[in-house]
Parts: sequence; C-alpha cells; structure tokens
Amino acid sequence: MRVPWPKLLGAFLYVGFTAFGGGGTAHLYQLVVVRRGWLSEREFLEAAALCRILPGPVFANLAAHLGTRLGGIPGGVAALIGVLFPGASLMLALSLAYFHLGTQPGSSAAEALRGIMASAIGLILATTLHQARIGLDSPKAVALALWVFVTYGLFHWPLPMVLLSAVPVGVAFYWRESR
Amino acid sequence: MREELEIFLTFFRLGLISFGGGMANLPEMARVLTARGWVTPREFADGFALGQFVPGPNMLAVVFYGLKAGGLGGTLAALLGMFLPGATGAALLVHVREWMARARWSRALRRALVPIGMGLSFSVLLTLIQMGLDSLGSLLLVGLSAFLIYRGKGILPVLLAGAVLGLLLPGV
Repeated sequence: MRVPWPKLLGAFLYVGFTAFGGGGTAHLYQLVVVRRGWLSEREFLEAAALCRILPGPVFANLAAHLGTRLGGIPGGVAALIGVLFPGASLMLALSLAYFHLGTQPGSSAAEALRGIMASAIGLILATTLHQARIGLDSPKAVALALWVFVTYGLFHWPLPMVLLSAVPVGVAFYWRESR
Repeated sequence: MREELEIFLTFFRLGLISFGGGMANLPEMARVLTARGWVTPREFADGFALGQFVPGPNMLAVVFYGLKAGGLGGTLAALLGMFLPGATGAALLVHVREWMARARWSRALRRALVPIGMGLSFSVLLTLIQMGLDSLGSLLLVGLSAFLIYRGKGILPVLLAGAVLGLLLPGV
C-alpha cells in the first residue's frame, strides 16, 4: 500500500490532535487498521512489537515506522511531524505561560499544578499496576524487574549500565521459550 | 548556537538510551537536567505534570525543559534530540522487519523488555514521588487518582479534578 505524504500528514495530524492520555498505540491502530485499512491487524501488531525494542517513545517510533512504510521517507517525516506538532505547540504555550505566570510558590497556578502532579503520579501508578498483572507473570520476571528497580530507582545507576546489566540476562532468561 | 548544540547532544544521549518505553529515562533525565542547572527539581516535576495535559507522547515535556534551558532554539534542539534516534531507527526498521520478526533474539528481547520495563516504571514512580510530592494530602490524591483510573475513569477528567482539588485545598 502506497499513500501520498500529504494524506499521511493529515491523518497523523488528526491523531496528534486527539491522542490524549498516553494511549498513542491505540489511536494509531484505530487510524491505520480500523478507519483507513492501510495495514492488516497482524502487520500492525508486529510493527508495534518491533518498535518497542527501539529507544524513545513507542508512539512516536510507531508513527515514523508506519509513515515510512506507507509513504517512504517523506511519509515518515510527515507522520512524525503529524503526531508531534499539535502536542508540542500546546506544550510550548503552556510552558511559556508557566515561566511568565506560574513560578511564584503559593500562586493558584502552582497549587493547581501540585494537584495535577499528584493525579499524574496516580495515572502512572494505575498504568503500572495494570501492566504488572500481565508483565510480572513468573519468578524470573519478578527478579528481573526487581533488579532494575533496585539498581536504577534506589541506587541511581546510570540507565545505560542498568540496561547493560539487565538486557543480556533477560534475553538468556527467555531464550529457550522464544524458538 | 553552542548552547543549542549542547542541549541537542544532551537530549540526543537521553533519547538514545531511553529503552523500555517513553518515560523510562525520566529518572536519568531528572538527574542530568538538574545537575546542569537547567531546571530545579520543582520545575522538573511541574514540566512533567504539564506534559500529561497535551496530546501526543508524554515525553513532550522536553519542550518545557528545552525552553527553560535555551529559549525557542533550545526547545527545537531538545525535541530533535529526544525523538530523532528512535524515529530514525523505526524508519530503518521498514527494511529489516521481516527478518527481525523471525529472529529468535528479537523475540527473546521483546519478552525480556516487559519485566525490565516494569522495573523502569517503578523507578519512574519513585523519582516522581520524591520530586513532586511534599504532603500527606498529595499522597492521598495520588491514591485516589490511581484508584479512579484503574477502575477505567477517563484520564483527562481525573487530571482536571486534581487541578481543581489543588486549587481548593492549597498547601495540602
């Protein structure tokens, strides 16, 4: 399937405007598989799984991958700009407002932000707990997660060192069942 | 230009090592950005909170950090640095995806990254709690929000309710 880049830009801009709350993969699925039928469900799931092993946000990676697949390099650039531009512009406006209005401690903007921060931590806690039910399904999974939490969260090792110590062990753990 | 280059390289390094999902590198980012004096811990937490409000990847908080570090040029440098490594890799993936999908090491890696990602998420939570929470009331609000979202309530209404509660109960 080959899609011209202006069409891709429009479609991914729509996702960029509407994908609130971090569930970016679900929004891309709706666009590419359900609404437009550009890829089959299986192709999409494989692409999403592969984009997980790359660095960076899966949402942006997946958009760049899908765009490139459907429209070459121009398509990839258009898709990435599409998903980033709306949020980045809004974020810039909010940040400018923050640095001009909201930095005084005790101002109402600061109080509102404290409330948002607490809710945002709650959001990540809920997401993590949801995933933990599926992700921590065996003793080796728990051991791996615990190792990462202790070295990174508690001992503040640099992230590259944490990954260098955990990823080879993890691959060895899952080697046998990945035939 | 030197300043923008320094910002770009800092975020490029952070983008390059941010394996395991969008926010896995948050604790590392907090350490690096506060050590360079680009943001205070309070500003880091506030920028993260604002990032939850915009559509798109959560990591758009880098717009906030780039702006503080180097104005509009810094914003662009931070955005490019954070998103280019993964996006370039994702575009290249188009050519090797069939081989990758079959390769045994890539299947093992994808499985291993699930629990590793969980460990990273718990580390992110710890960092955010240390930087962003300073009272028992906030802690209760964290619990309440987590409960509501876990039960399937909408994310945006819960965040807005958090803002209203923060306004109504200052200093909580």
